[in-house]
Amino acid sequence: MKTDTVQKASAIRSLFSSPVGKKVLTGITGLGLTLFVLMHVSGNLSYFKSSDAYNTYSHFLLSLGPLLYAVELGLVAFFAVHAVQGIRIFLGKRKARAHGYKTYASKGKPSMQSLSSRSMIVTGILLLLFLLIHLKTFKYGAYYETIVDGVPMRDLARLLTETFQSPFYTFGYVAIMVLLGIHLRHGFWSAFQSLGAMNPRLTPVVYGLGVAIALIVAVGFLVLPLWIFFTGGNA
Amino acid sequence: MRIQLNVWRQAGPSVPGQFETYSLDDVSQDMSFLEMFDLLNEKLIKEGKEPVEFDHDCREGICGSCNMMINGQAHGPRARTATCQLHMREFKNGDTIDVEPWRAEAFPVIRDLVVDRSAFDRIIEAGGYVSINTGSAPDANTIPIEKDKAEAAFDYAACIGCGACVAACPNASASLFVGAKVSHLALLPQGEPERKRRVIQMVGQMEKEGFGDCSNHGECEAVCPKGISIAGIAMMRREYMKAIMG
Amino acid sequence: MTLDAKIPAGPLESKWNQYLKNIKLVSPNNKRKYTVIVVGTGLAGASAAATLAELGYNVKALCIQDSARRAHSIAAQGGINAAKNYPGDGDSVWRLFYDTIKGGDYRSREANVYRLAQISNNIIDQCVAQGVPFAREYGGLLSNRSFGGAQVSRTFYARGQTGQQLLLGAYSALSRQVEAGTVTMMPRQEMLDLVVVDGRARGIITRNLVTGKLERHHGDAVLLCTGGYGNVYYLSTNAKNSNVTAAWRCYKRGALFANPCFTQIHPTCIPVSGDYQSKLTLMSESLRNDGRVWVPKNAGDKRPPLQIPDEDRDYYLEKKYPSFGNLVPRDVASRNAKQVCDEGRGVGTTQLSVYLDFRDAIKRLGRDTIAARYGNLFEMYERITDENPYEVPMRIYPAVHYTMGGLWVDYNLMTTVPGLFALGECNFSDHGANRLGASALMQGLADGYFIIPYTLGQYLAGSAAGGVSPNDAAFAEAETSSAEMIDRLFSGRKKRTVLEFHRDLGRIVWDNVGMSRTREGLTSAIDEIAAMRASFWNDVSLPGRQDTLNKNLEFAGRVADFMELGELMARDALQREESCGGHFREEYQTPEGEALRNDDDFAYAAAWQHQAGAPAVLHKEDLAFENVSLSQRSYK
Ligand SMILES: Cc1cc2nc3c(=O)[nH]c(=O)nc-3n(C[C@H](O)[C@H](O)[C@H](O)COP(=O)(O)OP(=O)(O)OC[C@H]3O[C@@H](n4cnc5c(N)ncnc54)[C@H](O)[C@@H]3O)c2cc1C
Ligand code: HEM
Ligand code: HEM
Ligand code: SF4
Ligand code: F3S
Ligand code: FES
Repeated sequence: MKTDTVQKASAIRSLFSSPVGKKVLTGITGLGLTLFVLMHVSGNLSYFKSSDAYNTYSHFLLSLGPLLYAVELGLVAFFAVHAVQGIRIFLGKRKARAHGYKTYASKGKPSMQSLSSRSMIVTGILLLLFLLIHLKTFKYGAYYETIVDGVPMRDLARLLTETFQSPFYTFGYVAIMVLLGIHLRHGFWSAFQSLGAMNPRLTPVVYGLGVAIALIVAVGFLVLPLWIFFTGGNA
Repeated sequence: MRIQLNVWRQAGPSVPGQFETYSLDDVSQDMSFLEMFDLLNEKLIKEGKEPVEFDHDCREGICGSCNMMINGQAHGPRARTATCQLHMREFKNGDTIDVEPWRAEAFPVIRDLVVDRSAFDRIIEAGGYVSINTGSAPDANTIPIEKDKAEAAFDYAACIGCGACVAACPNASASLFVGAKVSHLALLPQGEPERKRRVIQMVGQMEKEGFGDCSNHGECEAVCPKGISIAGIAMMRREYMKAIMG
Repeated sequence: MTLDAKIPAGPLESKWNQYLKNIKLVSPNNKRKYTVIVVGTGLAGASAAATLAELGYNVKALCIQDSARRAHSIAAQGGINAAKNYPGDGDSVWRLFYDTIKGGDYRSREANVYRLAQISNNIIDQCVAQGVPFAREYGGLLSNRSFGGAQVSRTFYARGQTGQQLLLGAYSALSRQVEAGTVTMMPRQEMLDLVVVDGRARGIITRNLVTGKLERHHGDAVLLCTGGYGNVYYLSTNAKNSNVTAAWRCYKRGALFANPCFTQIHPTCIPVSGDYQSKLTLMSESLRNDGRVWVPKNAGDKRPPLQIPDEDRDYYLEKKYPSFGNLVPRDVASRNAKQVCDEGRGVGTTQLSVYLDFRDAIKRLGRDTIAARYGNLFEMYERITDENPYEVPMRIYPAVHYTMGGLWVDYNLMTTVPGLFALGECNFSDHGANRLGASALMQGLADGYFIIPYTLGQYLAGSAAGGVSPNDAAFAEAETSSAEMIDRLFSGRKKRTVLEFHRDLGRIVWDNVGMSRTREGLTSAIDEIAAMRASFWNDVSLPGRQDTLNKNLEFAGRVADFMELGELMARDALQREESCGGHFREEYQTPEGEALRNDDDFAYAAAWQHQAGAPAVLHKEDLAFENVSLSQRSYK
């Protein structure tokens, strides 16, 4: 006889470790991160207006002080939870099918299986590695100063401009941004499905929206390094 | 027509298996896939070899016994079709077909293409029912149920428990199977009193059985002979979150 | 031996209620001391096992399939009858009772059938409470349809998957008890023998189908819920694992087998397409509501159907039975199809089929209406035959579908072996010589949910629990005999496969004990089968080993039993010198070619007793009709 694991099981354990909870967490954190990258990409685009606009924007963020720290803390937590759960799901799946098929093929529609869905772990881990380098390059990178409208602030625009003179950085970034797009193509829709918000009518709409967001984010990010590399960027 | 088969042969649960190649010259277009296996087995017996073991019973797509991974697709190439309903006219003269058992740690191979799907039974035992003793039911028309609701519940109740969803899922997840039963009963008033316990118990059992988690690949819906929608997985998640929250 | 059906005294309407008032009860604390072995988990077995466990008995249930949910009941399509009279079209318990007795051509027991009709309503209540998604009207109430030519709408249905939904309901109740620890469920186990100790059924021998090990299971009663024996014909609409083995081995241990020749042939099945054919697929007979049955007027007319003009078509059912037309009962429709094919007017490559044409219905109602009514059936047909029934007429042919015969049981559902009960299709009880559509599901669930819980209690209350051990000599003897049979099967000279024997047997039984039977045919079938049995034991080719999963071994044992059963069917059909229901003897027909019943001489159930090494002995249970008057069926 099986014992009633149930009623007593703490909600916390269920949230972190049950098959449903794991997905709800990747979903929430995934959407949170999506929101972050959307804001990030729109912030980045201010570089095209002018270096000053870009610097003012990041200065404004920094000036939020404790609020920013709170957000950053939240971000770290989101990344951490997201990555940990994603990796656990991946490990679980390897255990669930230790012996694979000789041949395997998707049956096509209505399957949502795609290169994106099957490579989430790869794109995800590369994103994680990218992130470490990325923070080192920019957030903890060279500190230049500039004065805009009489206010002294960090000249991040200059750091950007310098960094993307290197083909290594530029094309590395472009590649990563493509991976990010791939991650989001399945991820966006998937997060809503994980949160139980999907039904057969909504699915195609939200999946389409996800493809659009993936494209916007990826292209929005990668035009910047390419533009700087080929035009030299803002003087 | 002429068909070549690469079939997984495994003498028992704890011995390694391998593929064997067989060729059949007189396969008819109108044969079902299992009838082709009958033909193969008759041939093997006549040659003094051991026939290929596979599960089958109704041969009309309702009992959920048959289970073959055909060229990498659970139940073969045709949508909404169980292996036993597949006909050889889906294939061409000269084709080579790979046939493997369902593969998942929760479905250990017993012999050749026969696997142990008792994990599904244990999941249902964990809560996939309405607790009502025989004889205590009120008149059947006491509770009217919206036709559309009843139909939607039916769509989920149609699951035949074949396990193709697990077999085709890149994660070997049983979410579609569990989601189907949870949704069937969650949509009906009869399921109401136990809805929290049911979903927590069933999801818990699914985890214990060693199925993978669901990454929303949606392959399960594509191979499901009854076309059960992954909306059932979404509903299972909603039910589960509601249950652990309150 | 005198057969006592133990029918309670009193008027028909109150027999069951009186019985319930007077039965002995097992006290709640004692129930768990009794172990009940339930063989089979179809509608009858699953419902019985679940209910007995709810009551507190210790239940051991087993089935052949890998899960209880896959029993053959899962395949029933059309629906389940009940006398609810929800549509208000004048149905009642009496009418359901009367229709069932009449439909069975007056060869069943009034008291049993009346009880069945009474209980029918509780079944629907129970199933709805379990969450079975029956079809509903827009108002939210349950929907009914008329089925198999019934004059009232009393059939509850769940799309074309009624059996599936009912079985999943019973399976869920069973699963609940497995979790509660009151049922030990043993899938992939096949019962090979019954163990009788001191004249009572006290256990069974099974073969574990995974390890091959023979196991002994002991208890206080054995419930056989093992389904019908339609697969004796090799091709039938039954699932491949359906068999007679459990019932047959009980027969050999002393249980009487009744009316084996009463088998039902269903008129609307997809015809055979070649030798490799392994089973037949039924299509709901609702198709006959709109489809018109015809064959070419002239034998040898090989034109494709669309090129045969109306004047060259013979709508033989409409012509012969102007008032019922295409909706005549199953046996009549089937027999007529055979007749036109025998005349050389059959269609299709094998010339063993007739057309079921929707052309006129599509013209009258439109393609969409037809699609809404039969879309899924048309799709199923096309999937199998690769022909589109919207464009060319369907081809159909009769196929074996149900077996009314089975172990003889009394009013308590107990066989002639005390402690051995038979439920569902494996008993002979309620359908006489012909079963009405949508009544088998009703009977299986009535037996399991609502009858056996009381009648078993009555039996057990009279005997102390336990007192039997698997080490008893009777268990050893039964196990040895099963083991010997397996050894014998392996020692054949490996000339012909089990499937070849089964196919041959099927042909003999189908040709001679099928839709129409003659004295010569039956006599020669008895001889042919006897010869075949000898050759089977000498020549059978059984691959593999005993100590592992080996489906050929399973089938070999079943085919061996089918051969003996086939012979008994022929003997039974031979002694019944009348035509009734599914049993049509060519010698006994009216001048118009209709079945001619003989109530004076044959209003009995024929119950056969096994004799080792000698032909079975016939016992007759005379059927008394106190409440209905016997009439000749007429569908003109
Ligand atoms: C295609 C089709 C459609 C039908 N449609 C309808 C319909 O619409 N309405 C209707 O009323 N009836 C219908 N019937 C008839 C009805 O389905 C059956 O009569 C009924 O389901 C039988 O139920 P059961 O519980 O007696 O046996 P089954 O469901 O046949 O179950 C038999 C059980 O016994 C087990 N078993 C058998 N032998 C052994 C053994 N030796 N050892 C261990 N276990 C054993 C099996 O594993 C199985 O679990 C249909 C039948 C067919 C073939
Ligand atoms: C830190 C590095 C990251 C890792 C290791 C990672 C890993 C993963 C993995 C493995 C999954 C699939 C989970 C599953 O199989 O069910 C996933 C899903 C997802 N990821 Fe990431 N990811 C990372 C970063 C990101 C980022 C930056 C975003 C957003 C921009 C993002 C958005 C999503 C979304 C929306 C999902 C879908 C969630 C769901 O299905 O519930 N991920 N991630
Ligand atoms: C072309 C692409 C990108 C450019 C040019 C870029 C640029 C920058 C810069 C300049 C900073 C420093 C901001 C500061 O310290 O105030 C920064 C911070 C950051 N970036 Fe990016 N970024 C890019 C893509 C990404 C992507 C794809 C991610 C996520 C996966 C990401 C995640 C972050 C994070 C987490 C921070 C730190 C934010 C903080 O601590 O407030 N960036 N980025
Ligand atoms: S959900 Fe579909 S694929 Fe999965 S077990 Fe049920 S019927 Fe089979
Ligand atoms: S394929 Fe697998 S990942 Fe989920 S949606 Fe289906 S269970
Ligand atoms: S054999 Fe029953 S579903 Fe295929």
